[in-house]
This record gives sequence, structure tokens and C-alpha cells, in this order.
Amino acid sequence: MEADRSTMEDGTGLAKYAGGSGLRRRRLLTAWLFMVPLLVINVLVILGPSVATIYYSLTEWAGIGPAEFVGLQNYRDLLADGDFWMAMWHNVIWTVLFLTVPIFMGLLGAFLLSQIKRFQMFFRIAYFVPYVVASVVNAALWQNILDPTRGIGSALASIGIPFLDGVSFFGSERLALPSVAFVNIWAWWGFILLLFLTALQSVDHELYEAARMDGAGRWQQFLNVTLPGIRPTFVFVVLWSIINSLLVFDYVYIITRGGPAGASEVVGTLLWKQAFERFEAGYAAAMALSLSFVSGLVVLIFIFLRRRGWEV
Amino acid sequence: MYTEISRRQFLAMGGKVALGAGLAGPLLAGCGGDGGGSGQVTYWSNLEGAGPQDYFKKNIEKPFEKANQGTDLKVTFQPSTEMDRLVRTALQGGEGPDIIMTPGPAYAQEYIDANLFAELDEYSDQYKWDDKLLAWALDLGRYEDKLYSIPYQLQTMLLYYNKTLVQDKGMEPPKSRDELESMAEELQGQGITPFAAGIGDDPAAIEWFPTVFWNHYSGPDALYQALTGEIPFSDPVFVEAIELFNNYVQKGWFGGSREKFFSNGFDALHADLGDGKAAMNIEGSWFLADIDDFFQDSGDDWDWAPLPPLRSGIPAELYELGLGSTLSINARAQDAEGAAAFIDYLVADKKHVAEWMAAVPSLFNAPLPFTESDFPASMDDRVTRQLASLSQATDKGNFGYTAWTFWPSKSDVYIQEEMQKVLTGDITPSEFCSGLDETFTKDRKEGAVPKIIKPGSS
Repeated sequence: MEADRSTMEDGTGLAKYAGGSGLRRRRLLTAWLFMVPLLVINVLVILGPSVATIYYSLTEWAGIGPAEFVGLQNYRDLLADGDFWMAMWHNVIWTVLFLTVPIFMGLLGAFLLSQIKRFQMFFRIAYFVPYVVASVVNAALWQNILDPTRGIGSALASIGIPFLDGVSFFGSERLALPSVAFVNIWAWWGFILLLFLTALQSVDHELYEAARMDGAGRWQQFLNVTLPGIRPTFVFVVLWSIINSLLVFDYVYIITRGGPAGASEVVGTLLWKQAFERFEAGYAAAMALSLSFVSGLVVLIFIFLRRRGWEV
Repeated sequence: MYTEISRRQFLAMGGKVALGAGLAGPLLAGCGGDGGGSGQVTYWSNLEGAGPQDYFKKNIEKPFEKANQGTDLKVTFQPSTEMDRLVRTALQGGEGPDIIMTPGPAYAQEYIDANLFAELDEYSDQYKWDDKLLAWALDLGRYEDKLYSIPYQLQTMLLYYNKTLVQDKGMEPPKSRDELESMAEELQGQGITPFAAGIGDDPAAIEWFPTVFWNHYSGPDALYQALTGEIPFSDPVFVEAIELFNNYVQKGWFGGSREKFFSNGFDALHADLGDGKAAMNIEGSWFLADIDDFFQDSGDDWDWAPLPPLRSGIPAELYELGLGSTLSINARAQDAEGAAAFIDYLVADKKHVAEWMAAVPSLFNAPLPFTESDFPASMDDRVTRQLASLSQATDKGNFGYTAWTFWPSKSDVYIQEEMQKVLTGDITPSEFCSGLDETFTKDRKEGAVPKIIKPGSS
């Protein structure tokens, strides 16, 4: 305190202090002023529409014209809507598929790639390319490959392997959902692989050496060294897979539009239909908020687990 | 790295940002407005493909601007299946084109209720649309006795067939249900799909089939009664028509199998018809615009025939009436007069429209009282015959109703979505028709049913 007072009483020191404070204020002001455009954009494109969605979910609204306030009626209707629950069930199936197949493939692929030096970059690029290709292109590609009369099934049949001939992957109620998921997984797993590969490369090699000296086999090394080493990445991938699966829209919309007869309908495509085909935008808003609520719940569970000491 | 900027620099930058924001207001406001004749008319067209779009720019847009000095026509091509969604989104944001295209009269009503369309009666008087356009079509654009939309892209459903293939098999296009069924069985037995069909690209296209089966099995009189509320859609005559269609699909007559019917895209099914893998195709008259493309590789010939009656008492030549779109003027259009002038040019100028219809079949069909002599000799005689046949049948009152023109939008969407469930066996034809009746009754009570013209009263 003494030193502070002496500095303030000193003319030069006071000027210095005042100058420093002014500079800090200016810097702070400048920083905030630079933040303002971002803040304005966020309010306009995120907060504004979010508040509007909450409001419209409480109305009967066709998407144009005035909206009529109906309170919680849309949510009550949602609870009794068989199509909504069926779509939600499809989202659950999709989530299970995405929590298993691409994560397993990604882990395995990353592990195998980490063992090689030559051509590693080639494989990295090859696996990653589908992720950066537009979903509409990937979808068109697989629609052609899996076409029942002009696709791989008929090509195989022409060389004496007929088991896929005439199989309509996207037209069958039984196959449509897993087939669309397959296309999406094909585009997605390369990205997961790269995330895991990067994480694997950051694991300390001495740990493996120590484990080997303790007599640990490959599987034990994977369980006791690799998995703990990449846990943050693993948890991030799991969280991201769940949220992406709940919000899935593009591949289903492009390939089957939820058909046939709702067999591949997910909540994303169902709410799109409610808003833009059935012109029930208020009801669609209630559906969208319900989906956001479930996604939010998943995030909250992870936050809760972190606070309970889980290393996630 | 942190780089300091001086207060002067910062203020200068802020001033520029503020100036930009200040300018943005009037600029954005210029997109809408209350009128006053800006000289610019914006139009979103549903034409797809380079050929029709280039033709439009060269033969419609430029000549219109030349004939209407001072009017700048700004045309944007939008995908036809996305048009309604794009227009709704734009209008909700206070924007949108000056000329608004909807998928049909039943879809226009919500826009009218939301006061988004300008009244057109003044322009109708000015351009004498009552004298120029077919009365039944113009009536579909009226709401509470006021004109809000102009019908456009007149359509009907046809039976296209691979003429070379059908003749090689010693067959003719079917003229009755018996002929259709025996022909389908024979073709299927020879490994040929009787009807190229599929909804993989546009599931809503499933509505073509209830439309055809209700018109050619239930008949236009029954449909008129149902659409005017005299009989319910759950009447057995409608249920039986759906049962018949379902039966044909389960047999694999449409697209090869039920699963293929769900997944076949338009290009694939059209290619099947052109290659002779399929013999026939039930589709709207719009297919005339590009059917030639699918027969180039095989060198086969094609033709069309009227869809056969599927029950006794149904006229042999019956054509469903349909409109692919309607045109209205945005209530916020700056140059409503310019927009009306363009609508008149596009729809009601008989000489020009006949030229465009000859050059690009079907896509510019306006509901005008054409005779064969109105069309240039260069027009494909199959297209001329289609237009003449439609005109003659309509004169006799032998017309039916397409779902996308005469059903209210919610009932139409019900058909598009629930019909698939009949084919998968999730619901019965009877449940489907009862559900339609429920939806339609609600629509009727809300006044959403467009004016229904009585068969035989054209």
C-alpha cells in the first residue's frame, strides 16, 4: 500500500498510472466495440430466431400470415403424435448406429494407420475426402451404386453373383433407414478416424514401453494405455455423435425424404414436412424445441458427469 | 498479436460502418415497398433445365423488355419442387418476388388470407382476361368474388408408351380395364415392366395415381359430388379405385416392384421407357417437354394415348384438368403495373404463347381457347393432337380433376403422404379414404376448397 501511495504521490508515477489505466480502458473499449458486430449477428441469427421459435411453438401458424396463440396445445398434440414418436425412435436407432459403427471403424482405422509410416498420408486423405464432399453428391453417388436395376446388384448378377440383384435398398421399409445411415457413416467415419489418429499420436510412447515391460499384451495396452490417453477425444466424439444423430436431416431428406411410408423418417425431416408441406409451422416449432431439449439434456448430462469428477 | 489503432482511425472506421448501415436501410427497403413504379419486376420461374431456361431468356424475357421499354424484368429460376417453400420463406421475411408463383389454386388461398396478394380485377379489366382466358380456369383464381391469381401451365394426365415396343409385340394402347390388365400380364410375363413408375425423386408424385384411378374408375361425377361435399371420400367407389391401384402395384406392374416404385427416380424410369425395359408410363402432359431425350439412345418411337376407363360408364376420352401453377402479384410489389403487363404477356398473348408452346411443349401452356390452327406447323403433331384432344374433350365436358389443382392443400398433402402407407400395408384403402374424408371435411369447413366446375359444364 505504501509503495502504491508513493507511486501515486509521485507526479511521474501518477501520470504513468493514469496513462496505464486509460490505455487499459481504451483497449477494453476497443475490444468490446469489435465484439459488438459479432454480438449483433448472434442476437439476430441465433437469439432472435430462438425466441421467435419459442413463441411460435405456442401458436397455430401456417408459416405466413398471423399466428394464433394456443398455449401448450402443440406440445399436448406432440405427446399423442404417433408419427413424432416413430421418428424419435428412428433417431434413437440412428444414434445407436453412429455410436457403434463409425466409432469402432474410426478407432480400428486410426490404430492400424498409426502402425504404418509409408502411405499414411494417402490413406488419411482417402478416408477424409467423403467428409468434405457435399452430402448431396455423396447421396447421389450411393443412390446410383445401390440402384436396384442399374447399380452394383445388377452388376454383380451379371457376373454370376445374384444375391443383391433387384434389392431396393432405399425403397424397402426394412432397409431404408439402415441404408441411409450406411451412406452417412461412409461419409462420416473418416473424420472420426482422423480425430482418433491425432489423439493416438499424442499418447506418450514411454507408457506403451512401460506396459510392455510389465507384460501387457496388445489388448491390455489398448485398454489401459490407449483408451485413457484418448479419453477426451473419445468423449468428444461420443457427445458429437449423439447430438448429430438427434439433429440428422440432410442424408435422409436427400435420399428418401423419410420414406417409404415414414420408414426412414427422423424428427428433422418430420418437422420440415410439418413446416413446409403441411404448413403447420407452429407445430413444427414445438417439435424443433422438443428436439433441442433432448440435445440440451445430453449436453447437461455430460456437464454433470464432469462435475462429478468424470474425466470427460 | 495485438495492434493498436488510434482513436481517429477507430472513429473513421466506425463512421464507415455506420454509413454502411445507414445506406443498408434504404437499400433493403427498396426490395419491398408500397408501389410507385420502380420499373423493375422480379419473377421467380419454375422452369428447370438449360433448354427451357435459355429459351425463356431469349424468347420471352428479352422481347418483353423490348416491348415494354423502361421495365426491367429480373428472372430467377427456382427448383419447381422447392418453389412454394422458397416463396413462403421470402414473403415471411417481407421480401419475395413481385410476381408470385404458387403450385396451384388451392395453395394460393393462404397467401390471400395473409394479405400477401394484390387484387387483380383492375388489371383483368385493363387486359380483358375474362375475354381471353378460359372461364373455368380464371374462376379458380377468384376468392370471395375477387381475382387474386391467374392460372398457368395447364396440364392433364396421359398414357405414354414406347410405340416401337408395343407395335413389335403386336399390341395397342389399352382402351379398357380388361385390355390394360391382359396387356400388363403379358408384358410382365415377357420380362417387361408394364408401367415405368417411381417416386424416388419426388414422393409427392404419388398423387398422380390416386388422381388417375379416381377419375378413370370412380369417375368425374362421383369426384364432383365428393369435392362439393355431397358424398364422402369414404364412399366405396373411391375405396375400390385405391384398392385397384394398390393391387396393380403389389403385382409389380408399376416400376417393377413395390420397393422399386418407392425408389425409382424420374431419369431412371424415363430411361426404362425409352430403352424398352418398360412399355408405358402414366404421367402429366409436362413430360412432353423432354420425352424425346429418353428415346434418342434406343432410336425407338413414342406416342401417347388417353388413359382408358377402368369401369363401365366412364367416358373413353377423359382428361383430368390440372394447373401446374398460378401467378399473382405481390401486395408489396413496387411496380404492380409492370408485373401485370408481364403476366398478360406470359399468359394471355395467344400468338406468342402458341409459339412458345410449339417450341417447348407443355411448359408454357396457358389456359387459352386454342384451336389447332393457332399452332405453327413446326409443332410436333403428337403435341398438337394432345392439345386439340384436351380442348375437344373439355368442350364436351369430359374432364376430370387433378388432386393438386382441385383438392385443398392439406387434403392434397394427406394424399401425398398417406397413399404410401396403403402400398406398404400400414393402412387399408378404406382407412386411407376415411382419413382423407376427415381432412377434406375440415378443409371444406374452412372454405379452402377452390371453385369446382361440374363435368359437362365447361
